[in-house]
Amino acid sequence: MKKSIAGMAVLLAIYCGQLQAETEISGFASVVGGKVLSGTGVEAFGLEPTFLANYPTVGFYTEEWTFKPDSKYGLQFSSELTEGLTATAQMVGRGADDYKAKFEWAYLSYALNEHWTLQAGKKRLPLYYYSDFFDVSYAYLWIRPPADNYTWQIFNYNGVNAQFNYQLEDWTVSGNIYTGREDDTTNKLLSEFFGSEPVREIWKNIVGGVLSFNRDWFDLRLTYMTYQNERFRSGAPVLWNGENSRRGKFAGISTNIDYNNWILLSELNRLTLDGSDFDTYLVSGGYRINEWTPYISYADFDSEGEVHSTTSVGVRWDFHSSAAFKVQYDDVSDDGFSGGQVAGDSKSLTFGIDLVF
Amino acid sequence: MNWFKVLLVPIALTSQLVAAEVAVIVHPSNAAAVDQAEITRLFTGRGTSFAGGAKATPLNLAESAALRADFDSKVLGKSSSQMKAYWSKLVFTGKGTPPKELGDDAAMKAAVAADPTAIGYIDAASVDASVKVIGKF
Repeated sequence: MKKSIAGMAVLLAIYCGQLQAETEISGFASVVGGKVLSGTGVEAFGLEPTFLANYPTVGFYTEEWTFKPDSKYGLQFSSELTEGLTATAQMVGRGADDYKAKFEWAYLSYALNEHWTLQAGKKRLPLYYYSDFFDVSYAYLWIRPPADNYTWQIFNYNGVNAQFNYQLEDWTVSGNIYTGREDDTTNKLLSEFFGSEPVREIWKNIVGGVLSFNRDWFDLRLTYMTYQNERFRSGAPVLWNGENSRRGKFAGISTNIDYNNWILLSELNRLTLDGSDFDTYLVSGGYRINEWTPYISYADFDSEGEVHSTTSVGVRWDFHSSAAFKVQYDDVSDDGFSGGQVAGDSKSLTFGIDLVF
Repeated sequence: MNWFKVLLVPIALTSQLVAAEVAVIVHPSNAAAVDQAEITRLFTGRGTSFAGGAKATPLNLAESAALRADFDSKVLGKSSSQMKAYWSKLVFTGKGTPPKELGDDAAMKAAVAADPTAIGYIDAASVDASVKVIGKF
């Protein structure tokens, strides 16, 4: 219910805004197809050769050609209600959800001054570097941010956010502070892929922040978030060490360089949950030759029993000012043990077009 | 003969890129000193005012205008595709709005001449006394 109320309120605001000001409509789309060329699957779960390309929405490829896992479209409506106050809603439909459109973003934004903006409503959790523009594939190099890093089951929150932007000599210092909660009544990843019964996943008392330093060709981003996790499996609370809630702490650092057509991207993150560490990192490099950008990438996930990595090679071709063609080969190595396997080893080919309008 | 086309296309594209001289313009009453770093800051949404503190309204040419690619590459140091990717990230995460776009030099010149906060650019050959040139690239 909460989701739809936030969505309705912002839509109503946009509709009212339309009466006096113009509503700006923009959007993005990706049409991506692919298949697993070879893979082991996981015998213990009776899983056929599978490449889990998108954890949160459970988008996966098998040995049959499919366009569902990475294809999606988004429409954004934005309307300035009065000076400095804007209502924005973003609908996203994904192949992994049979293209059913849902409100992923619905928020009001108020510019306090040149440096600070306050926002309230439903937004994407800005955990990892690519988390909040994960769906806008045109904005990054690969077909998708490496799956091994982007594995978390919750990717939205309802709450408030304050963002800032300052200029210090040649540096731009920007970031945000946010707080809120998310109650996902039937979590797709936990209910469908890592289980077979309905799982309700709650992240509450979320408090986090992002701090970015940007200069010409150099970009450094620090991120931190803490939250309280509650989980219900078929309605019954899950207990961790006898408690029905546990605290997670997430921290990450990302550095990106875009210099003389050389691109170097990196991310290093750790989630501490209940005393266990979940470590992720990625390193990616590319070289821009006019409209062509070949790239390579390595991403890794490591926790107690869940260990996997992906090596990727691909190329991005900016054949049009608002569209890019990409083709990518992914080699996944699943070294999970004691039941920690995800989808087994796999080698896959995916290609497609990303666009913005 | 395909190799021949492969060689010719990049040459044709390159010669197009070095064609026009870009004149960055402001309202004649604007006395602010604006260098390339400052222009980049304003056109990438990292700042909203001139060095003196007065409000700045950057105005872009539409992608259909040939000078847009020259401005992006010579002044901002990026391709139009890179700028598009940059703005996509900001627009769809609620972190920024790209500059308003105008169709051609004439519309740009008129808009800058009418707005003391405006900063835009036109082909250096189109400049007249209605606007003030703060830099040529």
